[in-house]
Amino acid sequence: MAESEQVPVRQAREGNPAAWDALFRRYQLPLFVYVFELVHHEQTSLDIVQETFIAAVRHITGLRDDEKFASWLFGIAHQKCLLHWRKRGGKEILLDELPDAPDESPDAPDDVLIRSEQEAEFMNAINQLPLPHRSVVLLHYIEDFSLEEIARVTETQIGTVKSRLHYAKKSLRKILEAKNENAP
Amino acid sequence: MKTPREILLARHKAIEPKLDDVREHVVGKLNDKDTKTQSSSERLLSLFLSCPKVVWNELVLPSRRIWAGLAVVWLVLLAANFSMRDRSEIKMAKSPPSPEMIMAFRQQQQLLSELIGQDNAPVARPQKPFSPKPASERRLELLMT
Repeated sequence: MAESEQVPVRQAREGNPAAWDALFRRYQLPLFVYVFELVHHEQTSLDIVQETFIAAVRHITGLRDDEKFASWLFGIAHQKCLLHWRKRGGKEILLDELPDAPDESPDAPDDVLIRSEQEAEFMNAINQLPLPHRSVVLLHYIEDFSLEEIARVTETQIGTVKSRLHYAKKSLRKILEAKNENAP
Repeated sequence: MKTPREILLARHKAIEPKLDDVREHVVGKLNDKDTKTQSSSERLLSLFLSCPKVVWNELVLPSRRIWAGLAVVWLVLLAANFSMRDRSEIKMAKSPPSPEMIMAFRQQQQLLSELIGQDNAPVARPQKPFSPKPASERRLELLMT
């Protein structure tokens, strides 16, 4: 789990630049990937990552539990993405109510293995998902966040996260299988 | 075979030099003396100063159309209120009272004075009827009484 990794949050709290450097180095690429796959614009994504880092330094006192640093950091980035959409006049992302997901624990992200010739199809399939589903599945794949952590990042109920993750994975599977069947 | 995480991270590996620049920029700011030695009062001040921005970003900006609509409604109400007040003041100042109004006012005043006169007037001794007489006769009358 991402949260249990030994990251120098305590030193960062004390204003240690080396600790911040280590933290940012650890999360810069996953954070960029998450933001980019939501906003699809390189410069905007870089700006959001920078704003997230600055906000993290400023508001580290607001983080109660050091173990939750990763989800807290992704939560800041998520909020920045929402703000970006609102600034651009984007409408609130609403989804139709989905039936509850079956009561089963989600598969570990590493359980899904993709052949190299399927990579582009996998990325296309991710981009076909509605934004809230994409956000949940990205957090699950990139950082292996638990349902609780994803709920914290996206500020939604655990049940909603569970449902979105279930249907996102189902849609991905369906898209990939359809591609396989159509392949010569 | 790759995991989704490997695929996602590998696709964006090329951006790492730019991300390093971003990181160095932010950490470089941390190294600045001002940021490093920021006292708690300065932090409070900066928090206080950032409040309007946060309120603007979180409260106003997302529903700016609604706020703008409300502002327009208020402006219209204010304008209507001012224009109506001005008109009634002008009416009051310009129009002379009608004869009926003057009559009614006078009647009311008379009635009021009568009422006040009846209730509050001190009980005065009835005056003797004045009859002009020569001074010698008046002196005689006084001696008789």
